[in-house]
Amino acid sequence: MSVVRALNHPDDYVLSNHRNHGHFLTYSGNFVGLVAEIMGRKDGVCAGYGGSQHLAFRNFHSNGVQAGMTGIAVGLAAALKSRGSQGVVSVVIGDGTLGEGLLYESMNLASIWNVPVLFVVEHNGIAQTTYTRDTIGGEIELRGQAFGLSTWHLNDRDIEFSSKVEGVVAKLRGDRRPAMLIIDTGRLGPHSKGDDLRDATELAALTENDPLMRLGGALSTSQLEEIKSRCSSFLREVESLAIHSTLSSFDHLPEHSFKPALSIDFPEAESGVANVRAALNSALQTLLANDPDVILLGEDLHDPYGGAFKVTAGLSEKFKNRVISTPISEAGITGAAIGLAMAGKKPILEIMFADFLTLCMDQIYNHAVKFPAMFSDSTVPIVIRAPCGGRRGYGPTHSQSLESMFVSVPGLTVIFASHRHKVGQLLINASVRWPNPTLFLEHKLLYAEKHDSTGYEEIESEVADLGAELFPTLRKGRLDPDITLLSYGGMLPLTEKAARLLEENEELTVEIVVPALLAPLPRCSLLKALLHRPRILVVEEAHHHFGFSAEVLAMLAENGYRGKVARLGTAPVPIASARSMESALLPDENTIVLAVLDIL
Amino acid sequence: MATAIYIPRVNNNDDEVKVLAFDVATGDKVEGGQIVGQVETDKAVLDVTASDAGFVLGFIAKPDEVVKVGSIMLWLGESADEAIPELQESTLPRSTGEISQITAKARLLLAQSGLQADAVPPIDGRITVEAVERFLAAQGGIKMAGAAVDRSPAVDVQPDVDGTLVNLTREEKGMAATVTWHRDFAVPGYIEIEYELAPWAEYAANFQQEKGLLMPPLLPLMAWRLIGIAQEKPVLNGTFIDNKRFEYNLVNLGFTIQAGESLYLAVVRNAQSKDEQGFVNALGDVLRRAAGHNLKESEASGATIGFSSMERWKVTRHIPILPPHTALMVAHAAGRDGKGVLGASYDHRVLNGGQVVGVLKKLSTPNKN
Repeated sequence: MSVVRALNHPDDYVLSNHRNHGHFLTYSGNFVGLVAEIMGRKDGVCAGYGGSQHLAFRNFHSNGVQAGMTGIAVGLAAALKSRGSQGVVSVVIGDGTLGEGLLYESMNLASIWNVPVLFVVEHNGIAQTTYTRDTIGGEIELRGQAFGLSTWHLNDRDIEFSSKVEGVVAKLRGDRRPAMLIIDTGRLGPHSKGDDLRDATELAALTENDPLMRLGGALSTSQLEEIKSRCSSFLREVESLAIHSTLSSFDHLPEHSFKPALSIDFPEAESGVANVRAALNSALQTLLANDPDVILLGEDLHDPYGGAFKVTAGLSEKFKNRVISTPISEAGITGAAIGLAMAGKKPILEIMFADFLTLCMDQIYNHAVKFPAMFSDSTVPIVIRAPCGGRRGYGPTHSQSLESMFVSVPGLTVIFASHRHKVGQLLINASVRWPNPTLFLEHKLLYAEKHDSTGYEEIESEVADLGAELFPTLRKGRLDPDITLLSYGGMLPLTEKAARLLEENEELTVEIVVPALLAPLPRCSLLKALLHRPRILVVEEAHHHFGFSAEVLAMLAENGYRGKVARLGTAPVPIASARSMESALLPDENTIVLAVLDIL
Repeated sequence: MATAIYIPRVNNNDDEVKVLAFDVATGDKVEGGQIVGQVETDKAVLDVTASDAGFVLGFIAKPDEVVKVGSIMLWLGESADEAIPELQESTLPRSTGEISQITAKARLLLAQSGLQADAVPPIDGRITVEAVERFLAAQGGIKMAGAAVDRSPAVDVQPDVDGTLVNLTREEKGMAATVTWHRDFAVPGYIEIEYELAPWAEYAANFQQEKGLLMPPLLPLMAWRLIGIAQEKPVLNGTFIDNKRFEYNLVNLGFTIQAGESLYLAVVRNAQSKDEQGFVNALGDVLRRAAGHNLKESEASGATIGFSSMERWKVTRHIPILPPHTALMVAHAAGRDGKGVLGASYDHRVLNGGQVVGVLKKLSTPNKN
């Protein structure tokens, strides 16, 4: 609270955690807003959506996952630095959070980017019911110092505590570099409800030494009684206002949390590029050249390397300080990208292999998609690019197609273009016209594929399908096919081969339908295109159980589809490294043909 | 003899590489170990060398082209004027599966036409669409029975003209379900014969007199005769499930009755277990309950064979809809000049016309026994 009190610049940010009430009250002075929020009332600061742990008000944000906000804090501080603001960011954690790895990724990022963020550790010696002396190895200060952070250690029992904190904040603001402040304090009551196992003597000692209690001891009885009485009547009034506020409810029950596409003039993607890699590289160049807020983050992006798959080749030389090679900290850089996006930047993050997206999952699932859904003023327009897929013998942790996990994340857009799509335009649309957290998947084998839409047309996008127009579904073939192959991303070249086999060897009429937008699923558009087809085979490289194909076929079944269906994907086992084993596991043109013959 | 220099595998992960340049030209003499060109992967550039000496005959790959590892890069010959061997390379992707002797599309056509593959003479050893169509044309064009796959129903939109949507009553829903089954599943046919009215009228009058009834129960007696015929010939009392005939173990006689605005199919279950009078009484009971809209669930469903009369309205012939999972519904109508028409709708998957004519002929006279 002393730190929050010491923040006095309008650009300053406070990021807090699940124990945020003191921080929030100090920041906002909004007692009714907090109490009504906890009570689930409309007058709550977030109208009841966030409750006790998840609050957003101006530059105050708290969330319920311990170190979850630390990477975001670094991103916000980087945005402040880039626009030359004098603001600083403070992120408050407890000593229990020292056990979470993301914190160290964030401290390291803050250090190498040299951004004004203060990591505040409220050190009360206990985490829920466990003493942190049993869970923290080594010294806390050494952690800050190890990352090159200016590190202070204060005690809130110190009579000069508040002024010392002011000094720390002033120093941070002046130095404009990251710092750590450890505050020894005491927890006077239970973690939540009845879960305090400490004995009465220990609690009494803590209370006796509490700075507020000691301050009270310095006052006369009448002064103390008067303050207590004023506080009581104030709190009764707060309680009454909160309790009489209407119970929180939805005006319209939300079906999704996506914000509509923005109508923005922007140069089109270059056409006539040689292959998918060149299309993406050119689109990134167009984005960087025409929007100063666009910033690329990722591992090994810099020249002359240009990224593991060369998608960013030539860009770091051309756009200094806006194409940033990061440490190997997938969760940390995802958090930083979220922070940059919350501060108005348009970060495009590359995760070197989609397999490592699992490291980013908490930042995506509990942060990026939740803020816009919970808080109406919040937007998180990040784009996460990730090369995925197999057929290069990279083995179990560098070959996967994880889209089935991500299409089920509420509020996450998942785009997986094929070489038949205008891939560069899709990336531009995702970055500037689609103000929602977006995962942009790129199959490794498509990078070298010719970028060519010949023979394909866009299916009509239904207005009800958000994003369907920006990220269209393609189709090819007669409208009265014997079989419709629905496929996407890196499966398309193989699906096209299968279609040729089926046409030439089996005399079948084959239609190919290729979505690029996997989530939110363009349901109405796909239904219109598929409902009256006699047979549909959905082909995906991902583990298809519980996956994209399951959703498409469930949608058809729910809407009265009467034809035959099947799906083809990868069995739920790790992808083998040996090329012979890998190709046996992944669907290809031959297994597609067999699956089609099976459902005829 | 010409030998090929192949595109090398640079690493285990790249199945395709880009041809950067050639260091030799057509006609050049090269030594074993000499560099002939370069290829590039994402990560590296690699020289390609000739393993033996020879003359460059020509190039298959081109600079800047992305080509498959293992494909031919260029040809070397023992002399400069050798011809490049012609290779028959299929442009069609290779399938590991054997090419089937009947194409999938031909298989679909066979199923739609109800034909067996062995009836169709193959063309060049395969049964193709052309082979099936040629065979069908030679047979005088057997009519296609429609697509083998059930297509999804079109969604009927509300008409542009103003109106009100009215919910259906339970009976109306039942009727809609019945006619939809008839449309979606049965392959319906209809046959009728003419018959003399007098023998049945006389039989019914005698029955009335003998049993001391108020009216001659002509229709119940005819229905009873139908039950008897069905017991002699179980195929009549059946339906078609999953490409097999399903013959019921008992006869549930469905009898249409109009009660006010509602059309019911009142059912006497286990009808074959009763005697003639018992059946006449049982049918009378369910018809009375139908007229009072008091049919039990078991009396409004489960018919295995049907009987319908429109004599009451002086209709002289009608073609009934088949109730779900039945194969035969007899149509009785009003007679004229001593003669009447006895017809039947039937599911052609279960019964043929001859069988139905047989039933109608038997039914046109009372059982003398």
